[in-house]
Amino acid sequence: MVGLVVVSHSAALAEAALGLALEMVAGQPPRVVLAAGMDDGSFGTDAARVAAAIEEAEDGGGVVVITDLGSAVLSAEMAVEFLPDPDAPVRIVPAPFVEGLLAAVVAAAGGGDLAEVAAQASGALASKREQLGEVDPAPDGAGPGLEPGPPGAGAGQSAEGAGPGGAGPVDAASVGTEAGASADVVLVNPMGLHARPAATLAGALAGFDAEVSLEVPGRKPAPARSPLSVAGLGTRGGDTVRVSAGGPQAQAAVAEAVRLIEEGFGEAGEAPAAAQLDSAVSTGRPAGPGLGVSPGRVVGPAVHMPPPLAAPAEAAAVPPEARPAEARRLEAAASAVVRDLHDRARAAHGDAAAILSATAALAADPGPLEAALALLRDEGLDAERAIWSAYSDVAEQFGAVGGALAERASDVRDLRGRVVAALRGVPAPGVPERDAPFVLVARDLAPADTAGLDPARVLAIVASEGGPTSHTAILARSLGIPAVVGFPGAATLAEGEPVLVDGGSGEVVAGPTEEQSTGALTAPVPKERRAFAGSAATADGHAVSLLANIGTAADAAKAAAAGATGSGLFRTEFAFFDRAQAPSEDEQTELYAGVLRAFEGSKVVLRTLDSGSDKPLPFLDPEPEENPALGVRGLRTAFRHEGLLRTQLAAMARAQTLVPGTQAWVMAPMVATVEEAAWFAGLARAAGLATVGVMVETPAAALSAEHVLEHVDFVSLGTNDLAQYTMAADRLSAPLAALNEPWQPAVLRLIEATVNGAGLASARPGAARRTVGVCGEAASDPLLARVLIGLGVDSLSMSPGALAAVAEALAASTLEQCRAAATAALTATGAREARDAASGVL
Amino acid sequence: MQLSALVDWIHRYKDEVVARKDELTDLDRQIGDADHGSNMARGMQAASDKIGAAVPATVGELGKSVGMTLVSTVGGASGPLYGTFFLRFGTAAGGVTELDAAGLSAALRSGVEGIVARGKAEPGDKTMLDALLPALDALDAANAAGRPEVEALEAAATAAEAGSAATLDLVARKGRASYLGERSAGHLDPGSVSSAMLVRALADAAKG
Repeated sequence: MVGLVVVSHSAALAEAALGLALEMVAGQPPRVVLAAGMDDGSFGTDAARVAAAIEEAEDGGGVVVITDLGSAVLSAEMAVEFLPDPDAPVRIVPAPFVEGLLAAVVAAAGGGDLAEVAAQASGALASKREQLGEVDPAPDGAGPGLEPGPPGAGAGQSAEGAGPGGAGPVDAASVGTEAGASADVVLVNPMGLHARPAATLAGALAGFDAEVSLEVPGRKPAPARSPLSVAGLGTRGGDTVRVSAGGPQAQAAVAEAVRLIEEGFGEAGEAPAAAQLDSAVSTGRPAGPGLGVSPGRVVGPAVHMPPPLAAPAEAAAVPPEARPAEARRLEAAASAVVRDLHDRARAAHGDAAAILSATAALAADPGPLEAALALLRDEGLDAERAIWSAYSDVAEQFGAVGGALAERASDVRDLRGRVVAALRGVPAPGVPERDAPFVLVARDLAPADTAGLDPARVLAIVASEGGPTSHTAILARSLGIPAVVGFPGAATLAEGEPVLVDGGSGEVVAGPTEEQSTGALTAPVPKERRAFAGSAATADGHAVSLLANIGTAADAAKAAAAGATGSGLFRTEFAFFDRAQAPSEDEQTELYAGVLRAFEGSKVVLRTLDSGSDKPLPFLDPEPEENPALGVRGLRTAFRHEGLLRTQLAAMARAQTLVPGTQAWVMAPMVATVEEAAWFAGLARAAGLATVGVMVETPAAALSAEHVLEHVDFVSLGTNDLAQYTMAADRLSAPLAALNEPWQPAVLRLIEATVNGAGLASARPGAARRTVGVCGEAASDPLLARVLIGLGVDSLSMSPGALAAVAEALAASTLEQCRAAATAALTATGAREARDAASGVL
Repeated sequence: MQLSALVDWIHRYKDEVVARKDELTDLDRQIGDADHGSNMARGMQAASDKIGAAVPATVGELGKSVGMTLVSTVGGASGPLYGTFFLRFGTAAGGVTELDAAGLSAALRSGVEGIVARGKAEPGDKTMLDALLPALDALDAANAAGRPEVEALEAAATAAEAGSAATLDLVARKGRASYLGERSAGHLDPGSVSSAMLVRALADAAKG
């Protein structure tokens, strides 16, 4: 058997990790020798002890060495040199400490050879990466965070057709072919293939000459020899799993796997037994421990979050004679969605009613439906694909325009899901809608689910996954909804069953007794959120200017009503869209004056036209470009159309004289060089505008901030574009969404570089203080907003709806804490780590 | 250089490390895990005790004894790194009781190459190599110019101290300090400081 050596700075750490790993082995464990900590009990590693441990662990099959960090690796390498036999079969593996040890123990106990045990240990991070939504770094260089393709479209067997969850056999039905064997089997043990059964399975199958894999819909097939991959499938009792095998003993291996799974690993009887035992005490059935992340004790019916809706699959064209019927089916589904939205809007009150009415109006827009019907009629797309395609086009256009319209793109995608769900006869994706308050049960919530989380309806959230910094936890706390995460029994809660949730203690009880329910709320108490008072400061009194992003005079009025005392970004391009000609100077003057009037006594940052190849306007004679995001856009448009810019600046200057009580600041978008900034500043000052700035959206501008600020008075960071250009990832590319993140440490470092540049420019003799603002989406994230302030940003501009939450978050932290969070985020290894690090500090 | 002077080198280095233990630990506190001084003091005390109790008969034995003791007593990454240095130094010197200028330089270079192989660091990574590599070059240059041993080692010690001082502005790319990224700039690398002390102790031992 392969022997193992564990090298760690800490004896306690090594012993605990080994204890955890040995739990996984039912039979004879491999020989494991620890070389951990120093003799005097302090942290450290000792190469001589490691060498002795390797000799002791040798059991005839070679030795795999698992290390923690730093000197453990060096000591292990050195120990190998100490061995009497320079060619001794020893492998130091680049494995994560705990997972690697666990995988190695299981593989060695299962009789794996040295290469197999080393490979299992080295690959042990894969299931955690998959669980957390990251993909293995592919050998071809695709980085983490990139989705390999549409969900479910992996190289494995398709989830469609006879696969699990499809129309195939549900009970164990074996199919033997020359190439191998497979069978579908239903899990009987309530917790599914968690680590222990997965290890049993791996051990039992190790003796067969066969490559066995397990598969569930929507996940990559997991090799049965890897318990962590199998556990990573996240299966639950009642799930159907496909067991497939290749190799000479494929049939026998599949039969053995099916037998073991059907036996339930000795766990099948546990849940009912526990329930009976419990009913002797009370009728309430405690479903196990979870982690309370947002306090509050409530009781209400469980409602499960429906699974995400997959994009319609490619299919053969609908034959012409069937197209009229398919078209009627689509029209019926679309009108059912509109009707449903109207009905619910009428039944709702306040904000919810307004939102539902707006969505219903969007749904009633005949454009997408007509486009879909044309696709169906002319190209034979089926109803699902036709409407999916039509709405996707609209969402993409909205996204490309940016600003407020981009925020509507998610509404369009929501509608797309509703119509497709209606066609399929399944519940609409997203947070379920109910008239009465309920307990939402989900795997985890995504940021996109925020909009559907109505604190007036959602009594509590129970999630099977996630920790204290998961999206679910952050979201629940910000909305004041009690929540328990990491609750493994979530999937076993019956739909509609009353559930008691205590978000403080983490307790979740299905079918609670009256006694248990005493004192628990049955109606939500939405968190009182103070309206934004117009000013914000950290807990220790460091004032932060919070401003609103606006596009029209109507937006300005709404933002002022929401408490905003100024605007950090007025997107002037909204006045230019849908026009054959640019608006006249008089018309623009009127428009800008209207916006300035909404913020008397404060300031408005007017951004000159941000248009071009990414957001074409007819009067700019756009030329199609290969890479619009890298093309003639923003200020670059003005190099060819200087007259347009001059007119705009003249109108802004006139508007300022009409409304002298408001400071009109002006800035240019998409600046890359000092020369561009100087050119713009010259034109703006000549027009009579006193305070001139530029946006920092390119890494070039961020790195040149000091010199840019010799020519302008302020800069404003557009974090969305800055992320796009820093990470070389198109904002509109869905597979690259994980890269397009202001939390990426590289983006944060460029923000830091900008602030530092402003500091240097301000320190020049005779220079006035240069300010740095942020007007991208980053500013509206309450956590990131504090990191930005910690980095030294002066003002934050955001959609008015986010003002109160950001002000509240700032008031909860001191400037010192913000700075510590910024330091933690800057030195993190990735976006997720940066968020976690900042969240840990704050 | 006689074996007795090399034994003296180890004792002098121990004295120096023990005396400046807190200084090394403070440096490590800025950009590491605050244990370099205590680790090195513990290791060198043990090495010094070991060769005091069982006086090595050859330079090879001296290197092996000091190297193995450091490996087993330092605990942190400096254990395998300084351990490798002395083991390779001893192996290269072999069973002799005296090293001439070329022999001393070759043994030192072999030890430093061991550190390179072990830590996989490069010049400019803000590590002990930023002190040791300039010291070797200065030693070889002085030897080539035919300068006496005392002067040549003095030049090496000065180069090591200059190299260590220059780590102030570097960004760490190896070891725990590398986790700090740009924030490691503005601090001396503790390993380079203890390495410069090692070369200085050798120069002092040569003076007798």
